[in-house]
Amino acid sequence: MHRLHAEKMITVITSDVLENRLIQAVKKRGATGYTIFRAHGAGTSGEQSGMLDVDTNIVFQVVVPLSKVGALLDALEELGRKGHHLRVMVADVGVLWPEKFE
Amino acid sequence: MLSNLLIPAVLFFALGFLARVIKSDLRFPADLAKALSIYLLMAIGLHGGYELGKADLLTAMNSVMWALLLGFGMPLIGYTILVLSKKVDAMNAAAISAHYGSVSAGTFLTAVAYLDSLQIEYDSYPVIMLAVMESPAIVVGLLLAAWSRRRLAAQQGVSAAGTANGDDRGGSGQLTHILRDAFTNGSVVLLIGAMVIGAVAAPQSMVKIKPFIEEIFMGVLCLFLLEMGMEAARRIGEFRRVGAVLIVFGVAMPLLGGLIGVLVGHWVLGFGVGGTLLVAVLAASASYIAVPPAMRLAVPEANASLYLTLSLGITFPFNVVFGIPLYHALTNWVVGL
Repeated sequence: MHRLHAEKMITVITSDVLENRLIQAVKKRGATGYTIFRAHGAGTSGEQSGMLDVDTNIVFQVVVPLSKVGALLDALEELGRKGHHLRVMVADVGVLWPEKFE
Repeated sequence: MLSNLLIPAVLFFALGFLARVIKSDLRFPADLAKALSIYLLMAIGLHGGYELGKADLLTAMNSVMWALLLGFGMPLIGYTILVLSKKVDAMNAAAISAHYGSVSAGTFLTAVAYLDSLQIEYDSYPVIMLAVMESPAIVVGLLLAAWSRRRLAAQQGVSAAGTANGDDRGGSGQLTHILRDAFTNGSVVLLIGAMVIGAVAAPQSMVKIKPFIEEIFMGVLCLFLLEMGMEAARRIGEFRRVGAVLIVFGVAMPLLGGLIGVLVGHWVLGFGVGGTLLVAVLAASASYIAVPPAMRLAVPEANASLYLTLSLGITFPFNVVFGIPLYHALTNWVVGL
């Protein structure tokens, strides 16, 4: 365990149409990479079947050091204020090679 | 009218609808519906382009102009009706009305299948109208939303600048970006691109791909409509939330569009029964592929379940089952005048 370094993993579940917005938001705030999964499911916005573009969700994950979390969460909160539906979760994770996330 | 509905495409739509109602575990693999719609747009584009290559340029230009007028005009009519009904706020009215100025390729192709089953010839110009009408309504919807947003902000005494932007771009930069998206939308690029290829490709080379774009076309359409039937039925549960007035709008708006389309198709553009019916279907149909993502992105204040339920759950099934034969009857009547 001693080789693991503490970082924060932000997971966003939202509509497929916001993909480019999220990519721009994390790039602008210094994230070095991100991962996207197509997903379907249901929530307060109703069922997302994944069959049509507008009905497809994405799970967007990005790992960043604690110093970058605040700015990123501000950008996500701004999206929510505009009326977009998104779920945001932040988790503590341990990573190998922390320089990949700096 | 019942015999007109007994074509495989409509029956598969009904099967999909039924499968969902009886809670069958029938389910398409992820992305299959998207792949089928890519094929359908490519095939109709190639076919239409090939026919247009032999067509009259003046009539084609006239068709494009009227497609633009319908695309810009129908959302304005829809917006006015919705605002006057006072059942939705201005943002929802803008987002919903944008769907009614754009078109449903699925409904258009069902009308083509309907005409084929009755062995009615149709003009190729409506295919180019299909491509042209995808985008203008998105632009009108965005402008109506921006205008409504400014009015709401003025009423509340706050600045509306940039309220549509989801990240760091300013309001005008956002609008430019969305407009670019509207005109570079995948469906538009594919349809227009395939039409150009169909128009310029050497006729003997088109013969080689004929089985791909013609002979399997109706079978693929059946598969696509099977999935769309399931998607439409999935919206039934939302009817209560939408309310009676909006449900009436979801039926009345295509009827009004169909009437306008018949008049434009026959009296203005001079098409025969087949071409006029296709123009009616274009004016009557509501988008559920291109417009919803654009509205979800640019008008996040609007309720997505309202416009999706209206376009996919009400107007689409209405047009496929009742609208097309109705517009056909209306076309026959107008052509016979």
